[in-house]
Amino acid sequence: MWKLLTIIFFAGLTLFVGLGSAWQMVDYGSALTTGKIGPWSVWYSAGSPNADPYTRAHFARSGRLPITSTSALYYLATTDGDGSELTSECEYAIVGSPVDAAWWSIAAYESSGRLIPNKASRHAFSSREIALGANGGFRIVLSREARPGNWLPAGESDQLQLVMRVYGPRTTDSAVEGRITDKAVPSIRRLSCL
Amino acid sequence: MPIRFSWFAVLLALILAGLIHIATVIGLPQVAPQNAWNRLQPLADANKLVVLPAASPAHQSLPLMAPDMRYAFCRYDVTRGPVRISTQIMDELWMIAFYLPNGVNFYTISGGDINRKQIEILISTESNVLLDTETDALYESDDVVGVTAPENQGLALIRVPLAGSSYAERAEQALRQATCERVVPRATAPEQADNQAAN
Repeated sequence: MWKLLTIIFFAGLTLFVGLGSAWQMVDYGSALTTGKIGPWSVWYSAGSPNADPYTRAHFARSGRLPITSTSALYYLATTDGDGSELTSECEYAIVGSPVDAAWWSIAAYESSGRLIPNKASRHAFSSREIALGANGGFRIVLSREARPGNWLPAGESDQLQLVMRVYGPRTTDSAVEGRITDKAVPSIRRLSCL
Repeated sequence: MPIRFSWFAVLLALILAGLIHIATVIGLPQVAPQNAWNRLQPLADANKLVVLPAASPAHQSLPLMAPDMRYAFCRYDVTRGPVRISTQIMDELWMIAFYLPNGVNFYTISGGDINRKQIEILISTESNVLLDTETDALYESDDVVGVTAPENQGLALIRVPLAGSSYAERAEQALRQATCERVVPRATAPEQADNQAAN
């Protein structure tokens, strides 16, 4: 009886560790597959024919079709710069300088991936339409209430995520092909909460 | 009686956990039910270009679609011969990316890579390049970009990043005029014409 229980215990533990570690590394990445720049994470081999198995599994599971990183980069943030989850109950400033690329854009989604319903039908700011400040940089405010300037509505949902797309990056980090320099990625600062 | 601790059992469990881990990660792309191929396949027949509805809070054909981009795709199948995609290129931002069914992006071409307003892309595998004088001429034409696909089936996804919101309607109109179709070699064209007449 005890022998059987021991076998069941170890079989359960084996399944838990095997599947759990795979799920963790496929969904959230690891130092082997993803980079972390402040609150932003990026899968460096997304879409690439030479992608590692974790990256392939991640994108197959997500249903997305990324372009290989030499032509496009995708940065995803679910937290602010301090590590607190992005939520529509708070107001955030996304501050940065225009990325040296053919086109870039920052879009806001609910945590489920759905675009945030809002009366302004505003879901993103791209390099072609964002208003720049006198210093040449940009400042986007992500908030529930309308704000002057580049306002990205946060809607009424709870948790949020931001996706920054960079197409045709021109100035790339010499360390990794296609990768933009870390300082080109904007900061996300929480301003206030309800 | 407590569960007996055994270093051998722990080691065996760790090895088995490692094998389960590897099998899960490698097998996932083949079995993921909601991968992009499975999501797009029901939306169009093979070798037909379909413009995807603009992403909105109510609908997204693929997860995390860009709201400031327009998309069209063709689920090509070159089993019976090369497939030709023809599309307008309005600016350097247009991008056509080719994928295997498992999501690997094996080729991408952007408007910035070519200096023309219209592009013809001929997709074939190494084994089914047509030996036909008319299509030979296509391959040799400077206006045609040849793409060698590693597998018979795959996806071609046209992305149009919008250069401002006023650009959306023009981009959608241009995408609606794009085509994706199998190239019918001259030798089989009369037979096909007969079939069409019979139908």
